[in-house]
Amino acid sequence: MTKKRQLRFTIIRSLVAILIALLVATILIFISSAGATFAEKLDATREALKQMLAGPVFRFSKKNGTAFEAKRLADILAAMIPTTFTGLSVCIMFSANQFNLGAEGGIMLGAFVSAMAAIYLPLPAWLHPVAAVLLGGIAVAVTMLLPALLKTKLNVSEMVCSLMLNYIIMYVIKFLMNTYLADKTRGQIMSYPFKETSAIAPIVDNAVFSGAKLSWGFVIAIVAVILCGLFMYRSRWGYAIRMIGINQDFAKYSGMKVGMIIVLSQVLGGFLAGAGGGIEMLGRYTSFSWSALPGYGWTGITIAILAGNNPYMVPFAAFFMAYLSKGCDLMATYAKVPAQLIDIVQGVIFLFFAAEQFLSGYRQKLVVKSAEEEIKLAKARKEGVTNA
Amino acid sequence: MPDGNAVANETFVVQMKSITKVYPNGVAANQGVDFNLRKGEIHALMGENGAGKSTLMKMLFGLEQPTSGEIIVNGEKLELTSPSVAIAHGIGMVHQHFMLVPSLSVAENMVLGMVPKKSGLFIDRAKAIEITRQYSEKFNLHVEPEAKVMDIPVGMKQKVEILKALVRGAKILIMDEPTAVLTSQETAELFVELKHLKDEGYTIVFISHKLNEIMEITDRLTIMRNGRSMGVYNTREVTKEQISRLMVGRDVVLSVQKDRAVPGDTVLRVRDLEYVNEWGKKMLDKVSFDVRKGEILGIAGVEGNGQKELVDMLFNFNVPNSGAATVNGTSILGLPQQKIRELGVSLVPEDRMLYGIAAGASIEENVISDRASDKRLNNGPLFNMKAIHEESDRLIREFTVLCKSRSQHVGMLSGGNIQKVVVAREFSNNPALILADQPTRGIDVGATEFIRKKLVELSRSGIAVLLVSADLNEVMELSDSLIVMHNGRIAAYFDDTSGLTDEIMGEYMLGLKQQSDAEVRRVCHD
Amino acid sequence: MLNFLKILATPEFFFSIIRISAPIIFATLAAIVVEKAGFANIGLEGLMMFSALSGSLVSYYAGSWFWGFLAALATGVLMSLVMGFFAFRLKTDIILVGIAINMMGSGGTLFLCKVITNLTEGKAMASTTGLITKSLCIPDIKIPLIDKIPFLGAVLSGHNLLTYLAFLFCLLTSIMLYKTSLGLNIRSVGENPDAASSVGVSVQKIKYIAMAFSGLMSGFGGAFMSMAYAQGWSQDMVSGRGFIALAAQAMGGGECLGGMLSAVVFGFAQALGIKFSAVGLDSNLASPIPYAVTIIGLVVFAVVRNNRVKKQHSAAALMKTAGKQEA
Repeated sequence: MTKKRQLRFTIIRSLVAILIALLVATILIFISSAGATFAEKLDATREALKQMLAGPVFRFSKKNGTAFEAKRLADILAAMIPTTFTGLSVCIMFSANQFNLGAEGGIMLGAFVSAMAAIYLPLPAWLHPVAAVLLGGIAVAVTMLLPALLKTKLNVSEMVCSLMLNYIIMYVIKFLMNTYLADKTRGQIMSYPFKETSAIAPIVDNAVFSGAKLSWGFVIAIVAVILCGLFMYRSRWGYAIRMIGINQDFAKYSGMKVGMIIVLSQVLGGFLAGAGGGIEMLGRYTSFSWSALPGYGWTGITIAILAGNNPYMVPFAAFFMAYLSKGCDLMATYAKVPAQLIDIVQGVIFLFFAAEQFLSGYRQKLVVKSAEEEIKLAKARKEGVTNA
Repeated sequence: MPDGNAVANETFVVQMKSITKVYPNGVAANQGVDFNLRKGEIHALMGENGAGKSTLMKMLFGLEQPTSGEIIVNGEKLELTSPSVAIAHGIGMVHQHFMLVPSLSVAENMVLGMVPKKSGLFIDRAKAIEITRQYSEKFNLHVEPEAKVMDIPVGMKQKVEILKALVRGAKILIMDEPTAVLTSQETAELFVELKHLKDEGYTIVFISHKLNEIMEITDRLTIMRNGRSMGVYNTREVTKEQISRLMVGRDVVLSVQKDRAVPGDTVLRVRDLEYVNEWGKKMLDKVSFDVRKGEILGIAGVEGNGQKELVDMLFNFNVPNSGAATVNGTSILGLPQQKIRELGVSLVPEDRMLYGIAAGASIEENVISDRASDKRLNNGPLFNMKAIHEESDRLIREFTVLCKSRSQHVGMLSGGNIQKVVVAREFSNNPALILADQPTRGIDVGATEFIRKKLVELSRSGIAVLLVSADLNEVMELSDSLIVMHNGRIAAYFDDTSGLTDEIMGEYMLGLKQQSDAEVRRVCHD
Repeated sequence: MLNFLKILATPEFFFSIIRISAPIIFATLAAIVVEKAGFANIGLEGLMMFSALSGSLVSYYAGSWFWGFLAALATGVLMSLVMGFFAFRLKTDIILVGIAINMMGSGGTLFLCKVITNLTEGKAMASTTGLITKSLCIPDIKIPLIDKIPFLGAVLSGHNLLTYLAFLFCLLTSIMLYKTSLGLNIRSVGENPDAASSVGVSVQKIKYIAMAFSGLMSGFGGAFMSMAYAQGWSQDMVSGRGFIALAAQAMGGGECLGGMLSAVVFGFAQALGIKFSAVGLDSNLASPIPYAVTIIGLVVFAVVRNNRVKKQHSAAALMKTAGKQEA
């Protein structure tokens, strides 16, 4: 198939998947919307959909009409930060065909370690956040050695192992917080405040975004995307990861160190999740108060699937997910449809993106078309040769 | 002598008339083949790999459907659309790779899909065991009904397969190379059992290329070559030499232009390799040879005589029980593939889709897989994309890979072009030794010719080449000297291929002749 | 320390182990059967969440635990068939299908709960606990005679109906796998699909059946969570039991008895955690124990398995060559 056809197929397939998800969403909204008559329900549904689809960047009010909302956009960009990191993390781990699901626990551990570094390390500004984030990343990278080594040495399922690690990480952090680290002067369980030197600065003046918080973490995330893209497509290690993911026997035959590269992919994935946790923590919060797994890891998996494991596509997928999530939040506020609709929509999109045979009939048509053209081309060439 | 003027109204249990099978990829595996079976005979179906005998039998068992031609079983014209249809008409097949479930007992395997039940729900184990016993005794095929299949020897597994067919009412048994996995005692046992079945009125198709076995137990034989039938014969009326000539031979003799080889120092030195596979069959028996700079050493032989195992050892996909193999003095047995490649060894693998390429990656990504860490393709931590593009474009040009661009997925290419991608990589990284395992199998004439020329060219430039091929044409035309493998041993060594005939080759390939140890030992140039 | 042991040596503690093990056992049986059929269902967590919700809601609206219970089972089976459709028909990676179901099971159930009940406006946490009374839960059962036995009676009697069913199902599943033709088909499809289809067993059909069975077991597990373990559904109430079951399956060597024992080990670890908090220790210290035990169990299992495979191979090869040389 030609590249153009391939691209066209990918785009159409993605759009159809999203449309199906929105259709499911519409039906669910319709069922859940208030209203006695069909017409009223329809009205409510339209209102809810408007909030969900356009709300994230526009504010609707009777008085001022429709207006662009910079703050909401900033919120979306801010929400992209942690999920971009987990998305990248999952991309790299899944590219080697390893189903490590540890990004969820990883981002929490990274956030926690960075938070501790922010509280207890006496470091000058600039150096402080850098050191804290690096420590967070390294902590998770080291943790991911466990599922990776168990997989390569003993063939223990990296999936089950990483899932269990998620829970262990969560409970150990909760235990440490409750028992040793909580600030007893506060009403709820939270750490002592971070040292001011540790904060990741906001990217622009708050006033512009009327109270929105967007830290330099966003820029770091975009830099991370580029670095990961370079790593995956422009370095020998990323190349090896991808080849192992496509055909492990081929990689071995070609002389690649398969075991080592598999470990590398998970350590690197761990580092990204951990660093992402640190950046999120230092850019948005002033003390550590997470008491449960944040869910960014699972969103990261969705993002990686939407991005087709391509790091460069991650910010777009992350933006899409953050936009949808914001839309669902707004819908919950203004249209009284529960925000968790996002999870269903996300699940449906995820399923259709991952379904190999989805629209396979259409793809088959394109392949056949390409093959026919190729044969024609070859014939023409041959005739050309004989004529000459 | 041919059986053509058999009585016209003779009744056959199976008649396959002018069967033609063309696969979707355009390969014509059978062309106008006639095949028939008399009731109660053991009928050999012979031919080299790729001669079309498996395809023919797959059609009889309903696994494939003929493009044209008809199949008549017991006088009834049939559309054999699936194995169940074939089974219903009394045709059973014993596959070379057993269709058994290892953790189930023999009796359970016997009744799978037709389980006897008690109280309508539970497996009637006693009944299953009884059925197994009954058939086992009736046909004198000894099995242990209660043993798990994974715990029983290969010979017994095969008996289970035969019984499985019989219990489903098969009167015609197709046996696909049944002796390939058996030790000699097991083979002897099998023959007694097959004769017994024949006496009971069963008809057996015996696919094989082992002459002695065929002479021993078959009544008639059909020989196939290149998808065509070479005729039907009564076994006692033909000699082994005649069969060999009909079976092994070239329809068209291609000739490749090449200068006389001037062999240099030994590059690959293999000594006394021995390998017993996990089922206890000896696959390599004291294999020793040398490959020198500037020469092509061919390994001829019918497939399954140890060639695959030999290549596996030389690229560390497996480890031999004993023996040595060195490349320029460094041992390569058990060495990681990366180190083997660093010694200058290249491999064109037999199974190109499994090892040779990553189908979902681009041509470019496939041609650099062995050199991705080379300094000249990297700028510090990153790839030097310019160098990589140049390298891949150069290879695509040099090896005339027909494609749209270097970024096209390899999986989208034709077989010949895929093999050119493999070869482009393996021939271009300054190899000292090229292991070419079936380098032109199943690809078009153009690509075949190209690859053969390249191999000669490379060897003349001083590279040592080990060519493993089941294609007689290829191995005889390309090799400067060649060895023939039979039953895991080197049956013959010829230091000059020019005077060789198909007849001589056939006799060694099929085990009719064996050179003395001293003659074979000449391949070691100590 | 001695005091602590004293607390553990009570019938209540052993009672709680059995109780806590029950849902893990259901999920483990689900994992065992699909694994026998040759694939992994990592969506058990999500399936249980959906079943738990539908069980709780239907029992409330129908006013009867029985209908709720049936709804939970039906939900599990239906959703598992949808998973099967994606996995077997649309060729979606089965792992990804599981992940998707789990994602929906976490937030999606909360969405459905809010929508259906119109409850908990503005509350972050939602649950149906306010709606469910004891009579809408699956009843506990006192076993006559046994409950008279000192200590043992208090451990074994008075459990929920489903707790007894969980242990009973270990036996039934084992019988299904090893004594019925369905089980034979499931095992052959998992081990050698070519062999199964060559004798006319439909591989697709058997895989769907195994999938539906895992849905049914998840239905039991979910019903237990919201209608026996707790009074009503609440968010993320399954809390990893579906994942633990995957580990219990592996640790138990893929067999029902082994899986049950592994599940009880996790039950023990969890019960221990609860006791920890009862004596004033932080339960968060004990809560990770089952998960850590899982990893350790997997490692031990892997080491044992690898050694066994190695031994078998070399032994078989040796035996054969020896036999040949004699002859």
